[in-house]
Amino acid sequence: MADEETSTEQPKLQFCSELLSPSEQFEARSRSHKIPVRGQKHFLPTGSERQRERLEQSLQEHWTLVGEERVERLGSLVRALWIPGEDVVELQTPAGKFWQTMGYAAHGKQRLLPEEALYLMECGNLQVFHHDLPLSIEEGYERLLSSGRPGLLSLHQYQVFGHLKRLGYVVNRFDPSTVQSRYERQLNLPQSRDRHGHHLKRKRSQSPAHRHAGDQTPPPPEKPAEEGAEPTPPSPPASPVCPDPPLSPPQERSPARGPPQDQSAGAGAGQGLVGGGRDGRTRLAGAGAGAEGGPECLPPLGLQEDPLPRPGLVPPRPPRPPHPPLPPPDPRLLPGALEVGECNVAPWLRQLSLRDERLSRRERDRQRQRSRYHRDVNDDRDVRRCRNWAEYLELRERRWSRRNHGDKPANLWNGSVTPLSQPGHASSHGDLLNQIGVIQSSRLLDDAVSLTIPSQWKISFDVYQPDTVADYKKSNPGKPYTRMCVCSFEGPVPDLQVVKSLSFQSGDVPVTFAAVDRGDISFYCFKDIQLPVDVCH
Amino acid sequence: MAAWNSLSMTTEGPEKSAEEGAGAASGAASASTGTRFDLEKETELRFEVEAGERVQLELLSGLAEIFGSELNRNKKYSFGPGSKIAVFTWQGCSVSLSGKTEVAYISRDTPMLLYLNTHAALEQMRQQAERDNERGPRVMVVGPTDVGKSTVCRLLLNYAVRLGRRPTLVELDVGQSGVSVPGTMSALCIERPADVEEGFSVQAPLVYHFGSTTPGTNIKLYNKLTSTLAEVFSQRCEVNRKASVGGCIINTCGWVKGSGYQALVHCASAFQVDVVLVLDQERLYNELKRDLPHFVRVVLLPKSGGVVERSKDCRRESRDEKIREYFYGFRGTSFYPHAFDVRFADVRIYKIGAPSIPDSCLPLGMSQDDTQLKLVPVSPGRDLTHHVLSVSCAEDDTGDGSSARGRGVLENPVCGFIVVTAVDTQAQVMTVLSPAPRPLPRHTLLIMDIRFIDLK
Repeated sequence: MADEETSTEQPKLQFCSELLSPSEQFEARSRSHKIPVRGQKHFLPTGSERQRERLEQSLQEHWTLVGEERVERLGSLVRALWIPGEDVVELQTPAGKFWQTMGYAAHGKQRLLPEEALYLMECGNLQVFHHDLPLSIEEGYERLLSSGRPGLLSLHQYQVFGHLKRLGYVVNRFDPSTVQSRYERQLNLPQSRDRHGHHLKRKRSQSPAHRHAGDQTPPPPEKPAEEGAEPTPPSPPASPVCPDPPLSPPQERSPARGPPQDQSAGAGAGQGLVGGGRDGRTRLAGAGAGAEGGPECLPPLGLQEDPLPRPGLVPPRPPRPPHPPLPPPDPRLLPGALEVGECNVAPWLRQLSLRDERLSRRERDRQRQRSRYHRDVNDDRDVRRCRNWAEYLELRERRWSRRNHGDKPANLWNGSVTPLSQPGHASSHGDLLNQIGVIQSSRLLDDAVSLTIPSQWKISFDVYQPDTVADYKKSNPGKPYTRMCVCSFEGPVPDLQVVKSLSFQSGDVPVTFAAVDRGDISFYCFKDIQLPVDVCH
Repeated sequence: MAAWNSLSMTTEGPEKSAEEGAGAASGAASASTGTRFDLEKETELRFEVEAGERVQLELLSGLAEIFGSELNRNKKYSFGPGSKIAVFTWQGCSVSLSGKTEVAYISRDTPMLLYLNTHAALEQMRQQAERDNERGPRVMVVGPTDVGKSTVCRLLLNYAVRLGRRPTLVELDVGQSGVSVPGTMSALCIERPADVEEGFSVQAPLVYHFGSTTPGTNIKLYNKLTSTLAEVFSQRCEVNRKASVGGCIINTCGWVKGSGYQALVHCASAFQVDVVLVLDQERLYNELKRDLPHFVRVVLLPKSGGVVERSKDCRRESRDEKIREYFYGFRGTSFYPHAFDVRFADVRIYKIGAPSIPDSCLPLGMSQDDTQLKLVPVSPGRDLTHHVLSVSCAEDDTGDGSSARGRGVLENPVCGFIVVTAVDTQAQVMTVLSPAPRPLPRHTLLIMDIRFIDLK
């Protein structure tokens, strides 16, 4: 990958002593160094030929770029050594201009963080050796990144890092200990600069930076074409968040309530019908026996058990045994002292509702909804306990009033509707605004002190703006422009707790969320906004 | 309350029978030409009368009944065009039919035995109620259109009254009321079996104005009137032991989907029904089973094979016939209505339910529901012509219409109906057809959507 212009300079490196002919060199030099622009993405495949062509072309461009041989002047390549145990890259030849914003010194050596090393490798500024062999870019991705180990960045984080670096930002790992507490900020204490784990770097950090300042061309300061494609990142679209109180309770409530309900509804629908039918019959039959002492049972009620289960309406149930014929009713109950024989129910059961009901689609939908969500009133134990209408209606009344007064705050649902303000109640415009402000305003940082940051969320980077690079000092970087939290599009959306707690951790520096969707990165931030107040009070 | 109404109807009994006698004499010759049908036990003869024809039925031997009313032997019953009749016999009989029938056949396949069993169950409940000093069964008959709801009601009422009970018929079918003109909801105490030809004798019914032939036009009002009827019925049960034991049979609309279904559930809870008879619809049965508490017995019954589907025209005709019957008596022979002028200034005409307005146009805090029960004054004009108006029993007071009075009109029954036959806007008078001579007993009139044109 790293080819040399003159093999004589480094006779040791036989494996990369490939010589390029002048024409090849010329071609490599004159090759466009632009990264292909992705442009607007079509999310839905339309299956059209044109779309397919464009896709292929775009893919082709990427493959060409990836497969391209990178030609660099050997003299401009900085040699470095990968030290796996410490997860750092140690420079073996003097660093280039990148040293102004990257790397640190420890034990008298210049060191780079793995992501910095990988980025420089990709830029063609660095050659990293491991076991005396240079790492290819692919190997670099494999070794210098890992989501598992704390010292290494994940791929997503690196993508954000690289993206910001290419745009010219200065990006450092975020160290929580460098954030001043509110108290410190109040006292205006000088900011201590400690990168965690690298306590010694402070002593010498300045000297190498100056020494190598003019050495090399800067890491490709970014291309305007790319900037056009991506929105300028860390001044992201401000989506003001209207802070709510912390929102944990509702989530806890629903699962606790859900399952039992479903269960009872499901089981009850089946049982309620069949069981209810049986119930009614036995009870009525019992009444009959009690009344007359005769053999008659209450015949029509047998019909409740109809033999035609319909999918969707009636839950499937086992086939029932053929209905016995109804015994003849007591003549004393009949007009004209009729004497009739027993009644064979079976043929009638077969005739019942053979014809489908004609329903419009809307009615059918409504009915399906109803049968799905509507519960049998008799599933309710309290309802089953009621013996007559008076008790049932009383129960309903009780529930109704409880529902009306229980859950809802009384001040909102009871009593008459009154105006928020009335003429004469407010002495100034400010008063009036206060009175009609139903929702109290709240800040992002309110109540954030007590919140803990969920484990999967953390701030990854401090980001400094490109125009400050000239004055940037690694020993005293100053206040970052923003802090970056990396999240994935597949992952959960940060909830209010995350937003609040991270903002709190970041102190007076805004937090930006970088959402990585495969290669594309979008930036979001939540900003406190203050509505314009036109009246002072 | 309904004295005026009943006053105009009482004379029909004797007159009717006198006419029957004459008819029997004249039909004697034709009796020999009639077709004879011999029915085995538990079978029925079904026939339909052709349009513009009349059919005479005579029971020659044995016992037979029509929808629970027993036939007299050797008496000629005549049925007008469009009648659909089933003569059922428990013991076997022979009848003769004369006149042109569209169809006439004997069927063994009748659910009468099931209906009789239903009656036996209800009767048992009445006996128990009598013994335990409780109330008798309150039965709601539900089902889609054209399954024989009214017939089942009539049957059960007839059987009950033949056993000496005094059941109450609650008629909630605003389209095809069996008691009063369409567009009303009514309750009628049954004291004798229905006349074979005319149906139940309408003596002092309790009638409420609804104003339209389908509950959907104002479901709020429909539910309110249902509740009012239930309340009145319960009051009557408290003072009249016999009525309480007799219970009631509620006939409902054939609208069993959506709001119509909700209205059924509402009715069940307003009347606190004990038994719901579902005719021929499993879906309805399952839903009611689910939405009514367990102590309500929901029973699924088959419809009779003799039930005929009626067309829209047929329904409209029978509605028209019902209004004509109100003014002219059964078959238009027994009553002589009066026509007279009423000055606009003497009456107040209202419509129940303001036209629906989008919620955004309503005053704050007011909902659409409130407007459905509102009394909206109607200024008399030419468009009143042919409309049926209910004469409300509400006391006429001199004060202008406050909302309190408006409520009163809603909850007050109707004492009679008039039809506007002509409107003279110049003279500010309208000519009305009225069952009784002037003056109108009350001056609060409620307008119906239903129109009646007095053609015959």
